[in-house]
Amino acid sequence: MTAETVPMAKEAPRPRKSSWKRTALIGLSRYGTIIGLLLMVLFFSANAPGVFLSRANFLNILSQASLTAIIASGLTYTLVVGEFDLSIGYVASFVGLIVTGLMAYEGFPIWLSIICALALGAGIGILNGLLVTKVRINAVISTLGIGTMLTGIGFTYSAFPIATGIPRAFTDISLGRIVFGLPNPVIIMVVVLLALWTVLNKTDIGQKMQAVGSNMEAARLSGIRVDRIKIFAFATAGFCAALTGTLLSSLLGSGTLAAADGYLLDAFAAVFLGSATLREGEFHITGTLVGVLILAVGFNGLSIFGAPTHFQPIFKGGILVLAVGMSALARRYAASA
Amino acid sequence: MSAPVSAAGAWMRIRGLTKSFAGELALDRADLDIERGRVHGLVGANGAGKSTLIRCLAGVTSPDQGSVTIAGNELQLGSPKASERAGLAFIHQELNLIPHFSALQNMLLGAPKVTRFGMIDWKRSGVAARAAAERVGIRFPLDTKVSELSVAQRWLVMIGKALTRDASMIAMDEPTASLSEPESEQLFAIIRDLAAQGVAILYVSHRLEEVLQLCDRITVLRDGRIVSQAERGALDKKGLVRAIIGHAVRTPDERDRLAADRSRQPIFSAHAIAWKQAVKDVSLHLYKGEVLALGGLVGAGRTEFAHLVAGLARPEVGHFELDGKRLTVANPSEAVEAGIALVPEERRSQGVMLQQSVAFNINISTLKLLRSVPGFPFLSDAKSRRQAESLVAHLGIKTPGVTARIAGLSGGNQQKALIARWLNAGTRLLILDEPSRGVDIGAREEIHDAIRALARSGVGILVISSDVEELTLLADRVLVMREGRITGELTGADITEASIIELSYHDAHDDQGEAA
Repeated sequence: MTAETVPMAKEAPRPRKSSWKRTALIGLSRYGTIIGLLLMVLFFSANAPGVFLSRANFLNILSQASLTAIIASGLTYTLVVGEFDLSIGYVASFVGLIVTGLMAYEGFPIWLSIICALALGAGIGILNGLLVTKVRINAVISTLGIGTMLTGIGFTYSAFPIATGIPRAFTDISLGRIVFGLPNPVIIMVVVLLALWTVLNKTDIGQKMQAVGSNMEAARLSGIRVDRIKIFAFATAGFCAALTGTLLSSLLGSGTLAAADGYLLDAFAAVFLGSATLREGEFHITGTLVGVLILAVGFNGLSIFGAPTHFQPIFKGGILVLAVGMSALARRYAASA
Repeated sequence: MSAPVSAAGAWMRIRGLTKSFAGELALDRADLDIERGRVHGLVGANGAGKSTLIRCLAGVTSPDQGSVTIAGNELQLGSPKASERAGLAFIHQELNLIPHFSALQNMLLGAPKVTRFGMIDWKRSGVAARAAAERVGIRFPLDTKVSELSVAQRWLVMIGKALTRDASMIAMDEPTASLSEPESEQLFAIIRDLAAQGVAILYVSHRLEEVLQLCDRITVLRDGRIVSQAERGALDKKGLVRAIIGHAVRTPDERDRLAADRSRQPIFSAHAIAWKQAVKDVSLHLYKGEVLALGGLVGAGRTEFAHLVAGLARPEVGHFELDGKRLTVANPSEAVEAGIALVPEERRSQGVMLQQSVAFNINISTLKLLRSVPGFPFLSDAKSRRQAESLVAHLGIKTPGVTARIAGLSGGNQQKALIARWLNAGTRLLILDEPSRGVDIGAREEIHDAIRALARSGVGILVISSDVEELTLLADRVLVMREGRITGELTGADITEASIIELSYHDAHDDQGEAA
């Protein structure tokens, strides 16, 4: 037996000698979605230079993306804390209906209607949060239940689209271009995303959200009030859904039942595409924005090439499975290489 | 199953087994012979290569080089199926049992099924399982759900599962980590029995006494290499420790125990605490400067008591005092605000946030101190980094940097990071539940030094440990609990493994909780 004294095994610092293959795979898993986005842009630019590659079309893509980006960023918060919100699409539809109703039927001024609408969205989010944390109903069930109820309540409120009695100034909100000639929804998106990014990455509450999402028990023992943090995340998701719903009504010039329901799937697709971007399987705002842009550029390209509308869901579902699958595969190879 | 212990040529021959991860050798040309009918101990610090070796045998990791032959046949490496077919069974610390299934269902899971018309014939499938259950001495009904079984009983189920498949070698990873003393003894008896029946046992443990007592042959790994192999009796504990870490550790009698000044006001007191059936009339005082430890068996109510102090549950009777003030905490976050912190027993599930960085894990409980401008919730990256770096240096946490993921650190360094979490948090009472579980012996010593230094600096320290040796090494005063009550108090030279064990089995009805 050996009795020589060798210093303790150095445990942690392991210099990683990585082969080019490994580096390439890690790169692919982190930047795969961004590379995909750039390839799409290049492809459309090369094949439809006049139509795709224009300032007008880019602004069009951005304003389409902005509503999805806002609602998807709110959803990102609930996923960061390890929960789920399936009600956001219904909340957006419901609030979009109510905000026009407040103006058309109740005669509220625009500013008050919008404040009420956003507060309503945040309130529904808080209700979701309370159901999940205090009553301890699974988030999938409680948010789906609340969302479904909202559809019915919306129908009770107004079975028909509210199109008359909406002030022009309200529709101008989403059609106007106040700053740098950019559509207002784009500016609103930038402000909302910057705020959400800052809160998530640079503040107490953002760190606590990440802690709750990483390990709830550990977060609790670290003195974090887990329930409050989760309720905050749900409230943010509700608020963002309400904002998207309001902007959609402004864009359409009417409040219509179920108008924003489709945003649920778009938002989920974007957030999960985003979770495979730059980081490995974590939800974050930057990633979500990349995910939204992939969807928007893709839709735009499809319509430019005259693809029938039913190609959109095929594209949406396909790209989600493809992108997430590819990054998962690349990660596994990178880990074993 | 009565394979004779072969005299010539080992049953399993491992030759030149080598595996590297990312250019680092985890296992370096390991040669090892394993005989049926013997208990083989495998020891080494964390990262020494024990788990890599086991994973190679299990077929979950493909070695870069080397071969394994079993009874003359070459084992196809890198295939879990081939390993299973060769009769190798592996029981990991996190027992892979399905809680909602019965013991029988679990034992038959994945085993070749006896079917009738495509449906599982439970009666006939059960025959092999029942025979196996008999061999390991399972006394509870096999249709009991696993969720209703104790950890010790679950181990029996896992062993039974291995025997159901006719395993000729069973590898066990830290089987006694969550077992009480009598349960461990029971397990050892079963292990010896299995060996006598011709099963080869590969026994991995950090508990050296146990290994010395149980194993016929001990193999020591260090830095991926086999540095020592010894037959029973050829190595004593000191020699074993030296082989594992390369230098000797202090023995308990070389260290001084602090006798706290009991005339002063205690930092923390518990007054007649009771909760459910787990904690009964527990009173204690914790004085400045001392390391107070709660000893006893698993299930004696110590962890439950810690949870009551940390606000995870509220005592039904009694109250706590911190610095002479009565304490009312309804949840962990109020406890933390009051200055009470818990470093929990389950490091991975309750302690570290694995996907986050070392700095994140350290800073999470002191975010208020890290704001750029007090009163505004924005955090300063520079302050966060500085705090994390100074604590990493202070506790000697081995990490490539504070931004590295904590998941890449060894168990001991993760544990140090969890202690670091509370150093700047204004903590008055730090409770450490099993502070060195699953931590290698070198890191354990460093953790002990850190805990003692904290106590001397005036923080109240309450340690819970089922590792009797750890209590003798670390504690200035030991309160032993049994069945929810404090059954005795040990100070100074009275703190010995024998006295702690004696009190752990002491009949609580003779004198009830007079201590402290």
